[in-house]
Amino acid sequence: MKKVIELTKIFLKNSFSSMELKMGLSNKSKSRFLIYVILFLYFAGLIIFLGYNLLNGLIAIHQETVFVGMILFMILGVALIQTIFSSINILYFTKDNEYLLPLPLKPYQIILARTNVMLIAEYAMIFLIGLIPLTMYGILTNAGFLYYITMIFSVILIPILPILLISMIVMIIMSFAKLTKNRNRFQLIASLIVLAIIVCISLSTSSMKSDISNEEMAQMIVQANGMVDLVKGYFPTLDFLIDALTTNSLFVAAIEILKTLLLTILGFIVYMLIAQKIYFKGLVGNLFGGGAKKSNKGIKQEEYKNSKLYKSYVGKEFKLLIRNPVFLMQCLLPSILIPIIMVVIIFSGMQSEGASLKDISTMLRQMEMNSFLIICIILGIIQFFTMFIYISITAISRDGENAVFIKYIPVPLYKQYIYKIMPNIIMNMVTILITLAMVQYLLHLPIITLIELFVVATIMGILQSILMLIVDLKRPKLNWDSEYAVAKQNLNLVFPVILSMIDIIIMIILVALLKDINVYVGLTILGVIFAIVTFIANRYLYNNQDKLAEKII
Amino acid sequence: MIEIKNVSKSYVKGKKSVDSLNLEIKNGEIFGFLGPNGAGKTTTIRMITGILNIDEGDILIDGKSIKEETLEAKKNFGFVPDNPDMFLKLKGIEYLTFMADVYDIPANKRKEKIEELTKKFEIYDELNNQIQSYSHGMRQKIVICGALLSEPKNWILDEPMTGLDPKSSFDLKEMMRNHAQSGKTVFFSTHVLEVAEKLCDRVGIINKGKLVFVGTFDEMKEKFKEEASLEKLFLEITEE
Repeated sequence: MKKVIELTKIFLKNSFSSMELKMGLSNKSKSRFLIYVILFLYFAGLIIFLGYNLLNGLIAIHQETVFVGMILFMILGVALIQTIFSSINILYFTKDNEYLLPLPLKPYQIILARTNVMLIAEYAMIFLIGLIPLTMYGILTNAGFLYYITMIFSVILIPILPILLISMIVMIIMSFAKLTKNRNRFQLIASLIVLAIIVCISLSTSSMKSDISNEEMAQMIVQANGMVDLVKGYFPTLDFLIDALTTNSLFVAAIEILKTLLLTILGFIVYMLIAQKIYFKGLVGNLFGGGAKKSNKGIKQEEYKNSKLYKSYVGKEFKLLIRNPVFLMQCLLPSILIPIIMVVIIFSGMQSEGASLKDISTMLRQMEMNSFLIICIILGIIQFFTMFIYISITAISRDGENAVFIKYIPVPLYKQYIYKIMPNIIMNMVTILITLAMVQYLLHLPIITLIELFVVATIMGILQSILMLIVDLKRPKLNWDSEYAVAKQNLNLVFPVILSMIDIIIMIILVALLKDINVYVGLTILGVIFAIVTFIANRYLYNNQDKLAEKII
Repeated sequence: MIEIKNVSKSYVKGKKSVDSLNLEIKNGEIFGFLGPNGAGKTTTIRMITGILNIDEGDILIDGKSIKEETLEAKKNFGFVPDNPDMFLKLKGIEYLTFMADVYDIPANKRKEKIEELTKKFEIYDELNNQIQSYSHGMRQKIVICGALLSEPKNWILDEPMTGLDPKSSFDLKEMMRNHAQSGKTVFFSTHVLEVAEKLCDRVGIINKGKLVFVGTFDEMKEKFKEEASLEKLFLEITEE
């Protein structure tokens, strides 16, 4: 057991070391800590706000227990989805596996430590999305001490089974040598399946809206309950814990928790038995079973052709992004998928309330759409979409230890910085174009407004790309053990959120100050402000190009 | 020619990792840079190549200062880092043409050079595969090919023999020898004393950031008045 604890500590340190969560006494770490606290409070506030509205609605019709089911269901869902993404990387594709195999460690010790890492990462998330709303439920329903004890047990127990189940499936798949040879395809297919599931769930729940009548609420409850019931079939612990949390009897709560505990232990035993048998087989197969598919094709003449350096460099960046499924899914594809998914969800939500797309469009056009307020809302939406593009914020870190390459080739660093952010700017423009195409379909804005919107949004995109590169240069994460550590377990990823928040706040202030301003004048002012900031950021990047690269060693 | 002039570097205040290093690697010379782990070899190479900033002193590559005329200096060398895991998702040919674009190698010359180098290292048939599928030695070879494409006058190689099979190792040594014989410079770090002994015109030994010996193998024997192997002398020098 001592070895398992030691291993867990080492794995955790490896995964999260560059998150720099050490609470030192220096001013730098204090301000960093403050940023994290503010962000935490922001998200916690958001969750409380959403949860409070929903819970109040449910209390009004005496259906508050549905809330517990929904939250537990959400924890289960998040645990499942997170594990699908993380388990394959944590179990099979971390660099340290090669060093672990020759050590006198038993498979179960490594698996246990790896599972602990997954679980700990999960708990951090569950604290936000589970513990906060469930505590709120306790307060609003005047629950007693029993509820809070049960709540703690529930939150601890509920993510364990889904993690074990997904990891077990991954292990079984990975034990077939043929599949392990093509990790990229495997990851991409798994990611796309998860995405499809998320879209389906979003579509089926998209009819929810904020001002809900009692009838609609009842219909929503039926839907929510239907979904929870469906999952209960696969995860009976969900049922046990809902009962435990909504009962007033100590006996019932104890029995339900005990049932959950027993089932979890049983699941754990099965998991360990299977893992002990097949984990090493898959691991060895993956480490030594050969790499990517080999080609016997000869080299064509055009492959030798020379290109302009910018073309060659940006092309290289795109190839490295597209050919790596983790980077493709986390950094590049969101620029296309997020606006499409969001818009589909909103439209289908509106349509499910009986309005056809044509009606919505006609209704919207009757309102004054070509106003500064509406334009700022559109820009805010674009900002929200583009904050999920993680190309710039990982531009340096993605190269890992090889990032020093930029320092010894005879190309100015500033030029290379620009080449590295180009994919971010291009993908930003794709997001802007998709969003504006949809806006135009609905609102039929004047073409000049559209063009001006495109220009301002692009300037904001360039600013975001430059600033996020500066963040990555100042806080690069170069010693990662799997791509997942850069594209997901990377605290730098909160900076796009902060920037989008600031951009949106600036727009809110401008709207408040210049409410009735002509839309073109307003957009020009906005464009000029962001152009000036972009110019300053660019000058900073240029003037400090060498200094900014100091951490790349 | 590489001139290292009174160069110092500290990572921690008050503790110099490289201390007042003076070294001149002449044209037509193969220079081996030796030293125990943590002696300052990699730090020195990183300063020569511009990866690390120099605290004190300067480094000139063919007369161009890496501090002041950075780009010009960088054009004058080809560098092979110790870690060959580079751009693993690129195909071999994509990596080499990218390097050719970086060093602005004309179209007619690059094909000839890529074929010559990759055939010599026996990786030509693998060029259409992603570097990810290469063995450690093959990755080392593709990185060497990338560094030598532009025919740089100065070769700077950090542990270049690591992972190479005997044939490739032999070929690389022969290439280094030919390069030096044509009046150009080879500067490389190694832990393999045998290689240094047989290949180098001169060696430099660094220990705790200070250059403790520089000269030929014969000069070393003379200095220590001992008829011993380089291994024994090396241990004696670095333990002092």
